[in-house]
Amino acid sequence: MTADEKATVIEEGQAARGPHEDAHVTVDYLPATKPFGRAYPVTTMVETVRTDAMAFFGVRDRQERDTYRYFLEFSGSRLTNTQETLEQLLGPHRRGAHFNLVEQITPGMIGR
Amino acid sequence: MNELYPDIDRWVIPGAAMAATLAGVRPSGRRGNESGAFWLGSRTAVSRVTAVVLPQGVGIEETPGQWRVASEVFGAISRWAKPRGLTLLGIAHTHVHGVPPRLSWADRHRSVRVPGILAVVIGRGGEDANHHDWGWYVFEKDDYRELAPSDLDRRIEIAADDALDVWGADSERVWELRTGMTATS
Repeated sequence: MTADEKATVIEEGQAARGPHEDAHVTVDYLPATKPFGRAYPVTTMVETVRTDAMAFFGVRDRQERDTYRYFLEFSGSRLTNTQETLEQLLGPHRRGAHFNLVEQITPGMIGR
Repeated sequence: MNELYPDIDRWVIPGAAMAATLAGVRPSGRRGNESGAFWLGSRTAVSRVTAVVLPQGVGIEETPGQWRVASEVFGAISRWAKPRGLTLLGIAHTHVHGVPPRLSWADRHRSVRVPGILAVVIGRGGEDANHHDWGWYVFEKDDYRELAPSDLDRRIEIAADDALDVWGADSERVWELRTGMTATS
Protein backbone atom coordinates (compact mmCIF):
# COMPACT_ATOMS: atom_id res chain seq x y z
CA MET A 1 0.00 0.00 0.00
CA THR A 2 1.44 3.35 -0.93
CA ALA A 3 1.35 6.43 1.21
CA ASP A 4 -1.06 7.94 -1.26
CA GLU A 5 -3.70 5.35 -0.67
CA LYS A 6 -6.13 5.67 2.15
CA ALA A 7 -5.53 2.92 4.63
CA THR A 8 -8.07 0.17 4.27
CA VAL A 9 -7.39 -1.08 7.76
CA ILE A 10 -9.14 1.32 10.07
CA GLU A 11 -7.86 -0.15 13.27
CA GLU A 12 -6.24 -3.37 14.26
CA GLY A 13 -6.27 -4.78 17.75
CA GLN A 14 -4.38 -7.63 19.28
CA ALA A 15 -7.42 -9.54 20.44
CA ALA A 16 -9.89 -11.25 18.18
CA ARG A 17 -13.25 -9.54 17.86
CA GLY A 18 -16.36 -11.04 19.40
CA PRO A 19 -19.20 -12.21 17.17
CA HIS A 20 -21.51 -9.33 18.10
CA GLU A 21 -19.02 -6.51 17.76
CA ASP A 22 -19.32 -3.92 15.06
CA ALA A 23 -16.99 -3.14 12.22
CA HIS A 24 -16.84 0.49 11.21
CA VAL A 25 -17.12 0.75 7.45
CA THR A 26 -16.52 3.75 5.20
CA VAL A 27 -17.11 3.88 1.46
CA ASP A 28 -15.90 6.54 -0.97
CA TYR A 29 -17.42 7.18 -4.40
CA LEU A 30 -15.30 9.19 -6.81
CA PRO A 31 -18.00 11.69 -7.95
CA ALA A 32 -19.29 12.34 -4.41
CA THR A 33 -17.87 14.86 -1.98
CA LYS A 34 -18.49 12.86 1.18
CA PRO A 35 -18.02 9.21 2.15
CA PHE A 36 -20.60 6.80 3.43
CA GLY A 37 -19.94 5.54 6.94
CA ARG A 38 -21.71 3.10 9.22
CA ALA A 39 -20.98 0.51 11.88
CA TYR A 40 -22.13 -3.00 11.03
CA PRO A 41 -22.20 -6.24 12.99
CA VAL A 42 -19.34 -8.35 11.73
CA THR A 43 -21.83 -10.95 10.54
CA THR A 44 -23.17 -8.47 7.95
CA MET A 45 -22.78 -9.56 4.35
CA VAL A 46 -20.74 -7.41 1.99
CA GLU A 47 -23.83 -7.18 -0.21
CA THR A 48 -25.60 -5.22 2.53
CA VAL A 49 -22.78 -2.69 2.62
CA ARG A 50 -22.83 -2.44 -1.18
CA THR A 51 -26.60 -1.91 -1.23
CA ASP A 52 -26.52 0.67 1.56
CA ALA A 53 -23.64 2.54 -0.06
CA MET A 54 -25.41 2.65 -3.42
CA ALA A 55 -28.54 4.02 -1.73
CA PHE A 56 -26.46 6.63 0.09
CA PHE A 57 -24.80 7.76 -3.13
CA GLY A 58 -28.08 7.73 -5.05
CA VAL A 59 -27.09 5.12 -7.60
CA ARG A 60 -28.42 1.66 -8.38
CA ASP A 61 -27.65 -1.31 -10.54
CA ARG A 62 -29.38 -0.94 -13.86
CA GLN A 63 -30.85 -3.57 -16.12
CA GLU A 64 -31.51 -1.91 -19.42
CA ARG A 65 -30.06 -3.30 -22.63
CA ASP A 66 -27.50 -4.95 -20.41
CA THR A 67 -26.62 -5.05 -16.75
CA TYR A 68 -24.73 -2.14 -15.26
CA ARG A 69 -23.43 -2.94 -11.79
CA TYR A 70 -21.62 -1.16 -9.05
CA PHE A 71 -18.95 -2.98 -7.06
CA LEU A 72 -17.15 -2.52 -3.81
CA GLU A 73 -13.40 -2.42 -4.02
CA PHE A 74 -11.28 -3.34 -1.03
CA SER A 75 -7.48 -3.17 -0.87
CA GLY A 76 -7.31 -2.79 -4.61
CA SER A 77 -9.51 -5.76 -5.42
CA ARG A 78 -13.06 -5.75 -6.71
CA LEU A 79 -15.25 -7.81 -4.41
CA THR A 80 -17.20 -10.41 -6.35
CA ASN A 81 -18.35 -12.60 -3.47
CA THR A 82 -20.80 -10.23 -1.85
CA GLN A 83 -22.30 -13.02 0.23
CA GLU A 84 -19.14 -13.05 2.30
CA THR A 85 -19.47 -11.50 5.76
CA LEU A 86 -17.38 -8.59 6.95
CA GLU A 87 -15.68 -10.91 9.42
CA GLN A 88 -14.77 -13.36 6.68
CA LEU A 89 -13.46 -10.52 4.56
CA LEU A 90 -11.58 -8.65 7.23
CA GLY A 91 -10.36 -11.45 9.44
CA PRO A 92 -10.68 -11.64 13.21
CA HIS A 93 -8.64 -8.59 14.14
CA ARG A 94 -9.64 -5.72 11.91
CA ARG A 95 -12.18 -3.37 13.44
CA GLY A 96 -13.08 -1.56 10.30
CA ALA A 97 -12.45 -1.14 6.63
CA HIS A 98 -12.48 1.37 3.85
CA PHE A 99 -14.07 0.55 0.52
CA ASN A 100 -14.52 2.35 -2.77
CA LEU A 101 -17.71 2.07 -4.77
CA VAL A 102 -16.66 1.55 -8.38
CA GLU A 103 -18.20 1.05 -11.79
CA GLN A 104 -17.06 0.25 -15.30
CA ILE A 105 -17.28 3.15 -17.74
CA THR A 106 -18.16 2.06 -21.26
CA PRO A 107 -19.22 4.97 -23.41
CA GLY A 108 -19.18 4.50 -27.14
CA MET A 109 -21.13 4.13 -30.28
CA ILE A 110 -21.69 0.38 -29.80
CA GLY A 111 -25.35 -0.01 -28.97
CA ARG A 112 -26.07 3.57 -29.92
CA MET B 1 -28.11 21.93 -1.52
CA ASN B 2 -27.17 18.29 -1.96
CA GLU B 3 -24.27 17.56 0.40
CA LEU B 4 -22.99 14.69 -1.69
CA TYR B 5 -23.31 16.44 -5.02
CA PRO B 6 -23.29 20.20 -4.39
CA ASP B 7 -24.99 22.22 -7.08
CA ILE B 8 -22.59 23.52 -9.69
CA ASP B 9 -23.28 26.86 -11.29
CA ARG B 10 -20.05 27.11 -13.29
CA TRP B 11 -17.08 24.97 -14.18
CA VAL B 12 -13.64 26.54 -14.52
CA ILE B 13 -11.56 24.45 -16.89
CA PRO B 14 -7.95 25.41 -17.49
CA GLY B 15 -6.93 25.65 -21.10
CA ALA B 16 -4.23 23.21 -20.05
CA ALA B 17 -6.92 20.65 -19.21
CA MET B 18 -8.30 20.93 -22.72
CA ALA B 19 -4.81 20.70 -24.18
CA ALA B 20 -3.88 17.71 -22.03
CA THR B 21 -7.11 15.96 -22.91
CA LEU B 22 -6.62 16.51 -26.63
CA ALA B 23 -3.00 15.40 -26.46
CA GLY B 24 -4.09 12.30 -24.57
CA VAL B 25 -6.87 11.20 -26.87
CA ARG B 26 -5.44 12.06 -30.28
CA PRO B 27 -3.07 9.09 -30.66
CA SER B 28 -6.02 6.72 -30.28
CA GLY B 29 -8.15 8.90 -32.51
CA ARG B 30 -5.55 8.72 -35.25
CA ARG B 31 -5.72 4.94 -35.02
CA GLY B 32 -9.48 5.21 -35.45
CA ASN B 33 -10.33 4.44 -31.83
CA GLU B 34 -12.26 6.20 -29.10
CA SER B 35 -10.49 7.40 -25.99
CA GLY B 36 -11.08 9.76 -23.10
CA ALA B 37 -10.08 11.51 -19.91
CA PHE B 38 -11.33 12.03 -16.37
CA TRP B 39 -11.52 15.60 -15.12
CA LEU B 40 -11.18 16.02 -11.38
CA GLY B 41 -11.14 18.92 -8.98
CA SER B 42 -13.03 20.51 -6.15
CA ARG B 43 -16.79 20.34 -6.34
CA THR B 44 -18.38 23.58 -5.22
CA ALA B 45 -20.75 26.12 -6.78
CA VAL B 46 -17.84 27.14 -8.96
CA SER B 47 -16.00 23.90 -9.62
CA ARG B 48 -12.47 24.01 -10.88
CA VAL B 49 -10.75 21.22 -12.78
CA THR B 50 -7.30 20.79 -11.26
CA ALA B 51 -6.27 17.37 -12.50
CA VAL B 52 -6.68 15.45 -15.73
CA VAL B 53 -6.34 11.68 -15.60
CA LEU B 54 -5.68 9.82 -18.83
CA PRO B 55 -6.55 6.13 -18.39
CA GLN B 56 -4.16 3.97 -20.38
CA GLY B 57 -2.77 0.46 -20.42
CA VAL B 58 -4.16 -2.42 -18.39
CA GLY B 59 -7.89 -2.08 -17.82
CA ILE B 60 -8.49 0.23 -20.78
CA GLU B 61 -9.97 -0.80 -24.10
CA GLU B 62 -10.04 1.60 -27.02
CA THR B 63 -11.88 0.53 -30.13
CA PRO B 64 -13.65 2.37 -32.97
CA GLY B 65 -16.99 1.94 -31.22
CA GLN B 66 -16.17 1.96 -27.55
CA TRP B 67 -13.92 3.31 -24.82
CA ARG B 68 -13.95 0.96 -21.84
CA VAL B 69 -12.50 1.87 -18.47
CA ALA B 70 -12.61 -1.14 -16.16
CA SER B 71 -13.93 -0.77 -12.64
CA GLU B 72 -10.42 -1.57 -11.40
CA VAL B 73 -9.17 1.60 -13.09
CA PHE B 74 -12.06 3.55 -11.58
CA GLY B 75 -10.93 2.11 -8.25
CA ALA B 76 -7.29 3.06 -8.74
CA ILE B 77 -8.32 6.61 -9.55
CA SER B 78 -10.61 6.67 -6.50
CA ARG B 79 -7.84 5.46 -4.17
CA TRP B 80 -5.53 8.13 -5.52
CA ALA B 81 -8.01 11.01 -5.73
CA LYS B 82 -9.92 10.88 -2.48
CA PRO B 83 -6.96 11.42 -0.13
CA ARG B 84 -6.15 14.48 -2.26
CA GLY B 85 -9.63 15.88 -1.88
CA LEU B 86 -10.35 15.43 -5.57
CA THR B 87 -13.81 14.68 -6.90
CA LEU B 88 -14.75 13.47 -10.34
CA LEU B 89 -16.27 16.46 -12.12
CA GLY B 90 -16.57 15.13 -15.64
CA ILE B 91 -15.58 12.59 -18.22
CA ALA B 92 -14.53 13.61 -21.70
CA HIS B 93 -14.33 11.07 -24.49
CA THR B 94 -13.97 11.07 -28.22
CA HIS B 95 -16.06 9.95 -31.12
CA VAL B 96 -14.19 8.89 -34.22
CA HIS B 97 -14.28 10.69 -37.55
CA GLY B 98 -17.72 10.70 -39.09
CA VAL B 99 -19.58 10.29 -35.79
CA PRO B 100 -21.13 13.47 -34.43
CA PRO B 101 -20.02 14.62 -30.97
CA ARG B 102 -23.34 13.84 -29.39
CA LEU B 103 -24.07 11.43 -26.56
CA SER B 104 -25.03 7.96 -27.72
CA TRP B 105 -27.26 5.64 -25.73
CA ALA B 106 -24.19 3.97 -24.27
CA ASP B 107 -22.66 7.32 -23.42
CA ARG B 108 -25.77 8.17 -21.45
CA HIS B 109 -26.29 4.83 -19.74
CA ARG B 110 -22.90 3.15 -19.35
CA SER B 111 -21.22 5.95 -17.48
CA VAL B 112 -21.48 7.90 -14.25
CA ARG B 113 -25.00 9.11 -13.59
CA VAL B 114 -25.04 11.51 -10.66
CA PRO B 115 -26.27 15.11 -10.46
CA GLY B 116 -23.99 17.69 -12.00
CA ILE B 117 -21.48 15.36 -13.61
CA LEU B 118 -20.24 16.58 -16.98
CA ALA B 119 -20.09 14.40 -20.06
CA VAL B 120 -18.07 15.94 -22.86
CA VAL B 121 -17.85 14.47 -26.35
CA ILE B 122 -14.97 15.51 -28.61
CA GLY B 123 -15.41 14.90 -32.30
CA ARG B 124 -13.08 13.60 -35.00
CA GLY B 125 -10.99 11.53 -32.62
CA GLY B 126 -9.84 14.61 -30.75
CA GLU B 127 -8.98 16.69 -33.79
CA ASP B 128 -11.76 19.18 -32.99
CA ALA B 129 -9.77 21.66 -30.93
CA ASN B 130 -12.54 24.24 -30.51
CA HIS B 131 -14.54 23.35 -27.44
CA HIS B 132 -17.58 25.06 -28.92
CA ASP B 133 -17.67 22.18 -31.41
CA TRP B 134 -17.75 19.58 -28.65
CA GLY B 135 -20.88 18.13 -27.11
CA TRP B 136 -21.35 19.35 -23.52
CA TYR B 137 -23.84 17.59 -21.28
CA VAL B 138 -24.66 17.73 -17.59
CA PHE B 139 -26.56 15.04 -15.70
CA GLU B 140 -29.76 16.44 -14.20
CA LYS B 141 -32.54 14.46 -12.52
CA ASP B 142 -32.53 11.26 -14.53
CA ASP B 143 -30.62 11.95 -17.72
CA TYR B 144 -27.93 14.00 -19.38
CA ARG B 145 -29.03 17.37 -20.74
CA GLU B 146 -27.09 19.15 -23.43
CA LEU B 147 -25.83 22.60 -22.58
CA ALA B 148 -27.18 25.11 -25.05
CA PRO B 149 -24.62 27.50 -26.56
CA SER B 150 -25.75 30.27 -24.22
CA ASP B 151 -25.42 27.93 -21.22
CA LEU B 152 -22.03 26.81 -22.44
CA ASP B 153 -20.69 30.34 -22.52
CA ARG B 154 -22.20 31.21 -19.16
CA ARG B 155 -21.38 28.01 -17.26
CA ILE B 156 -18.08 26.88 -18.77
CA GLU B 157 -15.13 29.18 -18.21
CA ILE B 158 -11.90 28.34 -19.95
CA ALA B 159 -9.10 29.66 -17.76
CA ALA B 160 -6.28 30.23 -20.17
CA ASP B 161 -3.50 30.70 -17.65
CA ASP B 162 -4.38 28.17 -14.95
CA ALA B 163 -1.91 25.34 -14.49
CA LEU B 164 -2.85 21.77 -13.69
CA ASP B 165 -1.38 18.32 -13.24
CA VAL B 166 -1.79 15.48 -15.70
CA TRP B 167 -1.81 11.86 -14.61
CA GLY B 168 -1.97 8.43 -16.16
CA ALA B 169 -4.00 5.59 -14.64
CA ASP B 170 -4.42 1.88 -15.16
CA SER B 171 -5.96 -0.92 -13.13
CA GLU B 172 -3.18 -0.80 -10.56
CA ARG B 173 -2.11 2.78 -10.04
CA VAL B 174 -2.06 6.44 -10.97
CA TRP B 175 1.17 8.06 -12.02
CA GLU B 176 2.34 11.55 -12.82
CA LEU B 177 2.64 12.51 -16.47
CA ARG B 178 3.10 16.27 -16.17
CA THR B 179 2.90 18.77 -13.34
CA GLY B 180 2.15 22.44 -13.61
CA MET B 181 1.07 22.17 -17.22
CA THR B 182 -0.25 25.34 -18.79
CA ALA B 183 -2.13 25.78 -22.03
CA THR B 184 1.03 26.86 -23.77
CA SER B 185 3.59 24.61 -22.11
